[in-house]
Amino acid sequence: MSKIKKLHQQLVAKQITCTELTSGYLKKIEEKNGELNAYITITGEQALATAAAVDKKIAAGEQIGLLEGIPMTLKDNISTNGIETTCASKILTGYKPIYDATVWELLKAQNAVLLGKTNMDEFAMGSSCETSYYGGAKNPVDTNYVAGGSSGGGASAVGGDIAVYALGSDTGGSIRQPAAFCGITGFKPTYGSVSRYGLVAYASSLDQIGPITSCVEDAAIVYDAISAYDSKDSTSRGNIGGSTQNAINNDIKGMKIGIANEYLQGVRDEVKTAVLQAADVYKSMGAQIVYFDMPSLKYALPVYYILACAEASSNLGRYDGIRYGYKTDSYNSIHEMMCKTRSEGFGAEVQRRILLGTYVLSAGYYDAYYKKAQNLRGSIAQAFNNAFGICDIMLAPTVPMTAFKNGEAVSDPVETYLTDICTVPINIAGLPAISIPCGKSTNGLPIGMQLIGNKFEESKLLNAAYKYEIESGVLLK
Amino acid sequence: MINKEDVLNIALLSKLYVADDKLDELTAGMQEIISFADTINSAEVENTEFDNINNLSDVFREDVVVESYPREEILKNAIEQDEGHFLVKKRV
Repeated sequence: MSKIKKLHQQLVAKQITCTELTSGYLKKIEEKNGELNAYITITGEQALATAAAVDKKIAAGEQIGLLEGIPMTLKDNISTNGIETTCASKILTGYKPIYDATVWELLKAQNAVLLGKTNMDEFAMGSSCETSYYGGAKNPVDTNYVAGGSSGGGASAVGGDIAVYALGSDTGGSIRQPAAFCGITGFKPTYGSVSRYGLVAYASSLDQIGPITSCVEDAAIVYDAISAYDSKDSTSRGNIGGSTQNAINNDIKGMKIGIANEYLQGVRDEVKTAVLQAADVYKSMGAQIVYFDMPSLKYALPVYYILACAEASSNLGRYDGIRYGYKTDSYNSIHEMMCKTRSEGFGAEVQRRILLGTYVLSAGYYDAYYKKAQNLRGSIAQAFNNAFGICDIMLAPTVPMTAFKNGEAVSDPVETYLTDICTVPINIAGLPAISIPCGKSTNGLPIGMQLIGNKFEESKLLNAAYKYEIESGVLLK
Repeated sequence: MINKEDVLNIALLSKLYVADDKLDELTAGMQEIISFADTINSAEVENTEFDNINNLSDVFREDVVVESYPREEILKNAIEQDEGHFLVKKRV
């Protein structure tokens, strides 16, 4: 059963007060965060104040919403008025936004209880959470392994039950990959369905906020609450498909589940086996499995890194030490001040991506890299469009492997980039996709599978995910 | 092929300093990533135009005047500020 609904019912039935619930989570954070390193900032005082307000409503016999009083977290690149928002970077240490991101404004209006801001790869650039200035978040299944990235803190917090749900951001897999590594649910909605206003930009044409939860139904509840048109985001479209909660339990008999053969190449055997077993579960529910080729997928990863780094090099130009964040101590010219501030404030991976982005946008290389990558982006988006002409939902692995050990990801950048091979095509095409657990490896680490939907067809996507979750009993294993 | 001079030039454009003892490692790392990015040059694809993800046309609207954030709020995060302005040290 949905964890959010269960807690909501306990609050309404007065089996527990919101203050008790919140205090319980704050206590667990105190006990576990030292090991998990999921939180960068803990907002206990504010959380208890919101909880007290919710208790007052309940005591007065007022009705409360599903998300009201439920303790949750935000990734530390989601702006929170007056609360430090660091993007896990030295360059934003001490930065307190003067406004709220739209997603937080929406949740705050529903009395969501913010426990704190969660750890991430610096500026969301990484696949292990280890590029964080504050050190990486650990995997709650086994702390010798990484939580994944970049929304590693949110996944670690939800997996370790030190938050009921989290909001993360996904530019190339940053919600889905850590969810897969930690054995929980991570949902990246269609580009444009959730406002990016107040999300500190990494790659604006790929970034999307979404929920990290312990089950599919919770993802639907949170998605329905945060998906709305927002005039402050010029790419906003809102929730075009309507309530996902209403559609979640629909019959999926006759649904066509597509598998692109390319998605099964180069993935570890146990991951491939788990995904194919999930296909069998779908068959047993009356769905039809169709296989096809998508040759352009093999270019998705270089296309992603070219475009993401190009956009990042432009987006991160704003950090100059003058208006906010870290500023170098001594300098002799404005140029030196900016160079020193940026070189001292950004970590190695962020600097590498800024340099790569500047390179692919520079005169002489623009056509060969950026323009070509944009053309290929069109081809990949078209290939998905064609695929959804012959199937309703696509099934794929989330990551070709399970979580890596602490420290392993840092050694080789290209090798680490390859872990994103299954997730980046979705951001390139702007599609919705969800990662849900589908088994465990021989060493007991979670394996995630990815379901991909057509644009703004979140309802169909979450319906397919929910039915699998129930039928397979994966949450009970 | 990217050489050390290219890396230093890109760093200058990016307003980043590269420490002397990091230049070799950074050049090698950049070369590895650029070789990987070069794989797209073998792609034979049609010239598919890509403007934006959701085929949005220009998002124009009537200008609506809303209240601005107070100046003192905006300046709160600046390390150095004075009389309503961002400050940098005088160098001229």
